[in-house]
Amino acid sequence: MLILSIVFAPFLCGILSYLIGKKSETVRDYFVILVTGAILGLTLVLYRNGPASFCIRGVLACGLSFASDGFRSVYAVITSLMWAGTALFAKEYFKEERENLNRYWFFVIVTLGATEGVMLSDDLMTAFLFFEILSFTSFTWIIHEETKAAVRAGYTYLFIAVIGGLVLFMGLALLYDAVGTLAYGELSAAVQAPLEKGKLMAAGVCILFGFGAKAGMVPVHVWLPKAHPAAPSPASALLSGILTKVGIFGILMTSMHVLAGNRTFGLLVLLLGVVTMFLGALLALFSVNLKRTLACSSMSQIGFILTGTGMMILLDSIGNEEGVVIARSGLMLHMVNHSLIKLTLFMAAGVVVMNLHTLTLDEIRGYGRNKRVLKISFLLGALGISGVPLANGYLSKTLLHEGIVEGIHHLSSCAGLLSCIEWIFLISGGFTFAYMLKLFLCVFVEKNTDPGRQALFDSVKSPGMNGASALAVFGSSLWMLILGQPAVSTRLAFRMTGFEEILHFRAFTFENLKGSFISLTIGGLVYLFVVRRFLVRGGSYVNLWPEKLDLEESVYRPVLTRILPGIFGPLAALFGENRILKPLAVLFGEKVFPSLAALFGENRLLTPAARFVMLIASILVRAMEMGTDGLIVLLRRTVVKERKVRGKPRAHPGLFRTVYTELSGAARPITSNFTFALMMTCIGIIIILCAVIYAVL
Amino acid sequence: MSPIFLLIPILFPVAGGFRLLLLKEQMEDRRRNRYSETIVCITSVLVFAALLAVRREPVMIYSFAGDFSIDFKVDGLSCLFAGMISVMWPFVMLYAFEYMQETREKNKFFAFYIMTYGVTLGVAFASNITTMYVFFEMLTLVTIPLVSYYHDHESMYAARKYAAFTIGGAGLAFITVIMTTVYGETGSFVYGGSLSINNISGIMKFAFAAGFFGFGAKAALFPLHSWLPTASAAPTPVTALLHAVAVVNSGVFAIIRLAWYVYGPEYLVDSGMQVTAILAACFTVVFAAVMALKERHFKRRLAYSTASNLSYMIFGVMLMTPEGLTAGLLHMLFHGIIKMSLFLCAGAFMHRTGNSYIYQVNGVGKRMPATFAFYTLGALSLTGIPLFCGFISKWNLVMAGIAADTALGILGVVCLIIAAFLCAMYTLSVSVRAFFPVDGTDHYGEERQEAGRLMLIPIVFFGILNILFGVFPAPIVSFIRQIAAGVL
Repeated sequence: MLILSIVFAPFLCGILSYLIGKKSETVRDYFVILVTGAILGLTLVLYRNGPASFCIRGVLACGLSFASDGFRSVYAVITSLMWAGTALFAKEYFKEERENLNRYWFFVIVTLGATEGVMLSDDLMTAFLFFEILSFTSFTWIIHEETKAAVRAGYTYLFIAVIGGLVLFMGLALLYDAVGTLAYGELSAAVQAPLEKGKLMAAGVCILFGFGAKAGMVPVHVWLPKAHPAAPSPASALLSGILTKVGIFGILMTSMHVLAGNRTFGLLVLLLGVVTMFLGALLALFSVNLKRTLACSSMSQIGFILTGTGMMILLDSIGNEEGVVIARSGLMLHMVNHSLIKLTLFMAAGVVVMNLHTLTLDEIRGYGRNKRVLKISFLLGALGISGVPLANGYLSKTLLHEGIVEGIHHLSSCAGLLSCIEWIFLISGGFTFAYMLKLFLCVFVEKNTDPGRQALFDSVKSPGMNGASALAVFGSSLWMLILGQPAVSTRLAFRMTGFEEILHFRAFTFENLKGSFISLTIGGLVYLFVVRRFLVRGGSYVNLWPEKLDLEESVYRPVLTRILPGIFGPLAALFGENRILKPLAVLFGEKVFPSLAALFGENRLLTPAARFVMLIASILVRAMEMGTDGLIVLLRRTVVKERKVRGKPRAHPGLFRTVYTELSGAARPITSNFTFALMMTCIGIIIILCAVIYAVL
Repeated sequence: MSPIFLLIPILFPVAGGFRLLLLKEQMEDRRRNRYSETIVCITSVLVFAALLAVRREPVMIYSFAGDFSIDFKVDGLSCLFAGMISVMWPFVMLYAFEYMQETREKNKFFAFYIMTYGVTLGVAFASNITTMYVFFEMLTLVTIPLVSYYHDHESMYAARKYAAFTIGGAGLAFITVIMTTVYGETGSFVYGGSLSINNISGIMKFAFAAGFFGFGAKAALFPLHSWLPTASAAPTPVTALLHAVAVVNSGVFAIIRLAWYVYGPEYLVDSGMQVTAILAACFTVVFAAVMALKERHFKRRLAYSTASNLSYMIFGVMLMTPEGLTAGLLHMLFHGIIKMSLFLCAGAFMHRTGNSYIYQVNGVGKRMPATFAFYTLGALSLTGIPLFCGFISKWNLVMAGIAADTALGILGVVCLIIAAFLCAMYTLSVSVRAFFPVDGTDHYGEERQEAGRLMLIPIVFFGILNILFGVFPAPIVSFIRQIAAGVL
């Protein structure tokens, strides 16, 4: 029952908040905070209660089933925590732009229910249902501001979400067909049975692609860097912190229950993860927009998590228990860490946006110099994401790194590849440090190039936000420190994975610190020699990323808008607009028939036949009009005994006269059309067949 | 009850519609509306009474030229088709009252509209291919005046095209009627087909192809599809009920009868005709979806979408497995509900604003929120989002395609997924335009101005059905599964 209320109460509350909002906006704002707080409380109770499950049979295609265990209950709590934090913050964020807020809140609360639905699902079908709901409800966040850029980003998001959903749908169908169940608990056993591995693999790839579209995995990441800057900041925090994790959740469930230990699948996830990780970091480094940098950074961190997932599957394939423990703990911890970090960072970015209404680095430069709370929160977030020891990202990244090292030792067949991946991992970590350093120094340390603007920034006294927002921003940043304690983190990892071994993991050994320091050193060097040298020109930040290098603009959109219609358009023109058929008809009408007619001498035979057919065609179309009219008049006079219509009777030209006039007008379009040829053929065939039948009978 | 009673629901609306033609054109709207609605409601009651009470055996009404006869019968398939349209008709009538308020010659419109009901029931209750063919042709004839109703250049052209394509198609189907009756010696429809499996010959294969594409003309099967978008020049009640459900589904219905009740699965699989049919259906699915995406006219876009979805059904049916047939029939029912709601919303928009192109939709969501909210639900459902009925049928179609375990099945599933994506693009982009106008392109004010009550009732009704069947599909799915297994 508890699970049920966590999932479905937000749906009801969403409607309630909409109705309340029609009467009073202030009450609605408090109501929203209350609802998210209540859900947070409920999820905490769920977390304390331990495992639980609930199912509803007989609805939808396969019923609904929910369950909560370690990982899922932790994520249910994180979800509601994120919502509560952003709701607290959003009250101030939206104080000026109040348009369409009612719609916004309705969809935000409904999405909370849908997200909890995915996180607490116990079979892939339930996950899919709520996944689709949240795809569409979160679409309204991105398009909320209704600017041109927002609408464009919204379309990108929508179409990626739809195609992801459909591919996922296909994957589920393949899986269901292969094993006959979609429940997580039964899948692990079901896939052991001897069955077609190819089908299972196909299903796995489809599911990976479908959930990956929401996670921001390459090559379906294109929506991510566009959607985040377009959405309001509280929504960006949710998009990046939670919605991407929903995708990861699905991939994780698949790799734990369906394709656990499948080497090919593991390699695929690993490679996609590595590409996502590196590309995201690179894009973030080049970006000159605060929220875009954070969005690309999200993509990169998702890559880290996927890399961990890939390693987990690979290590599982050789039965290395210890490695699986490390990789799974690392990736789950990194999910939690990334959610909380992005909550802090996007809310901090939100403070900048609500005061300055711009995100370009040059324009916000120096804004945070005297805003201490904001500065500390942002710094903690930056330290966390860069993996600096004692902040939360350190342990999870170390575990992920350890997973790769474990793989190098035990997976002899692809040790070379894994060594490369280890270096890409460290370099991406370095990039993370570099771009966070770039953001932090820009916003909080450097002075704006325009002294007047800097003076303006300085005149606004600390903290640039009200108490509730400060509580939300600063409160969420404290998690970086709390989770930075290995004791806390390992306990959390134990709770999520159920592996006791992780409790004995020693975080601060020389080997582990070395990895972190290599990464941070690379980051520092990149900042000094790449960012300062090439990306700052004449005191302002420049975007060196070539415009053309955009997968969406250069590949996806052209395929959809040009190539597909380019293939089918001509076909349609052939058959729809009579390009082929009309010339054929003309050919018959003007060349073949006349020459045949000439053959028979002065159109004696065929022209009358054609005219006869046209006569029939015209009569057919007009028969209903004229015939019934005549009949009606007749019946009115005789059966109904209606008297003559008063006034002057309308001149009625008579049936045949009308048909004749009609014929002369209708002849052209009919003869020059496919219609004519078709009609001829059919009537001809009918006549011949009638003759045949009578001959047979 | 004897099956002879089946004549009553067929003839009653025809007679009732005909009487309306005899009444004076100047009669009050209220009287005409009350009269029409009464006729339609009584017919619906009669249909349900007939479905429940009539014995499941054929009755011969008239026999001619030796082998040919006019027979009627109720079986599972006719239950589904007749039941479906008899629920829809009274509601769309309400919509038509308001939509047609401003026009002239209303007697003629409603008369033919009611008569079409009877003729469609005739198709549903037909018990052999001859009878079905006769009613099939009558269906074309009785709907021509409805298509040409506005009498302008566009609708006259549409009527001519419609007549030529569907009568031409029926001409092809005529070959099949003769061949199967005389050479195939098939009589009444029998589940699983009555054509002998030893009778595979070139001429019988040709007869199937002719029938498939001939009846397929009404189901807008490529290459005889192009009448459907053109015919959306007709008034919306006609496009909605006839060109999205009754007429086009009778095309699919006829194909089901031909494939499952005359030829039979074994015959079609062995003779390889299944391949031709599925390839044609798959091509139409993707082709029509792309064309819909290209189309800028609201109703024409929906018409292309109908063409695409009709081929989903044909694909399901032609898989020649009971699961495929179940899926095809489910999609017939659910697509009817969904497309009805989409067309009715489009019609409400056109009626209220006088515009008919997609770019004119920008910002209308604030003016007609309920209409476009229901439109969006329909659009999501058509794409195949869970929670709505479109998902149930699509899930069944995809499962049937995969379970068929042939390359054809997989090809069909891939086409379905591509078309579903395109479907999201062409339907949802309208919703996005309506609710999220880009700055400065907003054509409409904030003032709320919904369609009238009579138009909203059917919109809401179909919207509710859409969700109801989406959340609780179990009863209807098991009912249709029984039909597809030949039990009912």
